[in-house]
Amino acid sequence: MFEAFELMVFYENMIALNNVSITCDEGKIIGIFGSNSAGKSTLMYAVSGIILDIKRKEEMRGGERISVFGRVFFDGRDMTAVKPHNRAKAGIVLCPERRRIFPESSVLENLKIGSYLTSSREAKQNLEYVLDLFPRLKDHLKRQGGFLSGGEQQMLAIGRALMASPKVLLLDEPLLGLSPAYQEIVINGTKAIRDSKGISIIVTEQYARPVMPIIDYGYILENGSSVLMGTKEELLDNPDVKSAYFGV
Amino acid sequence: MRKERIDRGLKVRTEGIYAINSAREILYLMGPRLLLIAGLLALPFVFEFAPYWKRVINIMCAYALLAIAFDFLANYVGLVCLGGAFFTGIGGYFAAIYNVNLGLPIYLSIPLATVSGALLCTFFLLPCLPLRGVYFAIVTLMYPLLFTRIIEALDIFGGTNGITGLDSFPNPYLEHYAIIIIALVFLFGMRRFVNQDVGLVLRGVKDNDQSVKASGINVTRMRIIAVFVASFIGCFAGAYIAHLYMWAGISLFALDFSIIPIASVVIGGGGTLVGAAIGAFILVPLSEILRAFGTFRIVIYCIVLTGFIVFKSEGIMIYLQRKYHQFERWVKV
Repeated sequence: MFEAFELMVFYENMIALNNVSITCDEGKIIGIFGSNSAGKSTLMYAVSGIILDIKRKEEMRGGERISVFGRVFFDGRDMTAVKPHNRAKAGIVLCPERRRIFPESSVLENLKIGSYLTSSREAKQNLEYVLDLFPRLKDHLKRQGGFLSGGEQQMLAIGRALMASPKVLLLDEPLLGLSPAYQEIVINGTKAIRDSKGISIIVTEQYARPVMPIIDYGYILENGSSVLMGTKEELLDNPDVKSAYFGV
Repeated sequence: MRKERIDRGLKVRTEGIYAINSAREILYLMGPRLLLIAGLLALPFVFEFAPYWKRVINIMCAYALLAIAFDFLANYVGLVCLGGAFFTGIGGYFAAIYNVNLGLPIYLSIPLATVSGALLCTFFLLPCLPLRGVYFAIVTLMYPLLFTRIIEALDIFGGTNGITGLDSFPNPYLEHYAIIIIALVFLFGMRRFVNQDVGLVLRGVKDNDQSVKASGINVTRMRIIAVFVASFIGCFAGAYIAHLYMWAGISLFALDFSIIPIASVVIGGGGTLVGAAIGAFILVPLSEILRAFGTFRIVIYCIVLTGFIVFKSEGIMIYLQRKYHQFERWVKV
């Protein structure tokens, strides 16, 4: 249902993504693992269309030239040239790296901004769903987003993405800087989203261990190329993966 | 297919100073700089028989100084200064007071006005320096208006008539070359300054002042240094203009001195300093040419500016630098 085909991204002459293809079927969780500079964030930008926006801004500024190749298909539609806000309308919603919540809006307002595209009834249902999913947010609804702890901010960011009623949810490093306890909450939440709503989820992470149990299929990126792919079991059996991403 | 940008071999070789080993490489490095210097120095001779345009050269260089000051504050320190007029006004009035009221000769009044003007400007801007954000811009915009009204209302410094009878420059060539050479000195000096240790810290202040504080550096003090340097340049321009017109009046606080430098930086390319000067060299003569159109010139002026922002928002200088240092070719991916 969702397919990115031969994605290739250059930042000036540096290649950030080299011929990466990923597919994600309905109701599946896809994991993308790789160290820093592997191209995870670039992949997320390319899939969500944010890269087109970055490209345009760099052009205006006279900065780096960004070249994007490859195609993105979603629900049989070719999304390659579709602008990021229209991709979000179509159902591809990104929860960006480092959360990027609106620090001066309250938690409730943050969530409401996320529901801009949906009808008010749907927004109400989504809000209830998000607050059920992450009950901790319920206690802080009136608080400014910037004053939440890192873990709560991450929940808020995921919640905000969910408010847009996504069909494919892109989580870029959702565990960044979280304590093990919060990592577990976020991971369980991610699984719950898929199980209860059937939303496909693509999650990137550096450290594979906490994410591995919930994924259906995984890709391993290295220096912009996808070097390995397989189901959870296949990846777990691979000795290279074990040493590189599990620290065994 | 993808268009690829590659540094010219010549650029790569000449980047390290020790690798320069031929006249061609020296020319590659020096060429653009020499062209600018020689071009500016030749201007008074080129317009030998057009006295009106010779005056424009002076004003153009004064605006170039203001543009350099704005570019420095905005793109290297992160302070948006909407008050170029504040600097020119203070510098101009100081020059007039020194020259007319105290009877100092021109070669003392301009430097003294520059220094004392810069001190006074820095002092007035002190309260908004510890803050981030829009405060500095608003305050710098307000000060020229404030000073205009004070001078009008209290009828000090000649009131609306201004202070007349400043000494003119002893001869016209001194008049041109004083400002041209000083402009070049400030231009190359500032380019060097922003790459010194102080300049590096200032750029850090622009990017993230909290990290700079965490490194044990007093951010406010760094901003004071920056504002002093910028107002120094601006006050020199003001003192020069006052002596050029032999008059210091409230029009030295006019909005033109704030707006044209900003437009110059937009056209020339922010963050290059040279671009700011080149922007002024384009905009000031352009506005003189457009004088023939009367009030309609503002419309043309605005169209030119908007066109630049829409089609070449990076600025002339950044575009030229790229063309000079890099070439492009198509490669297969």
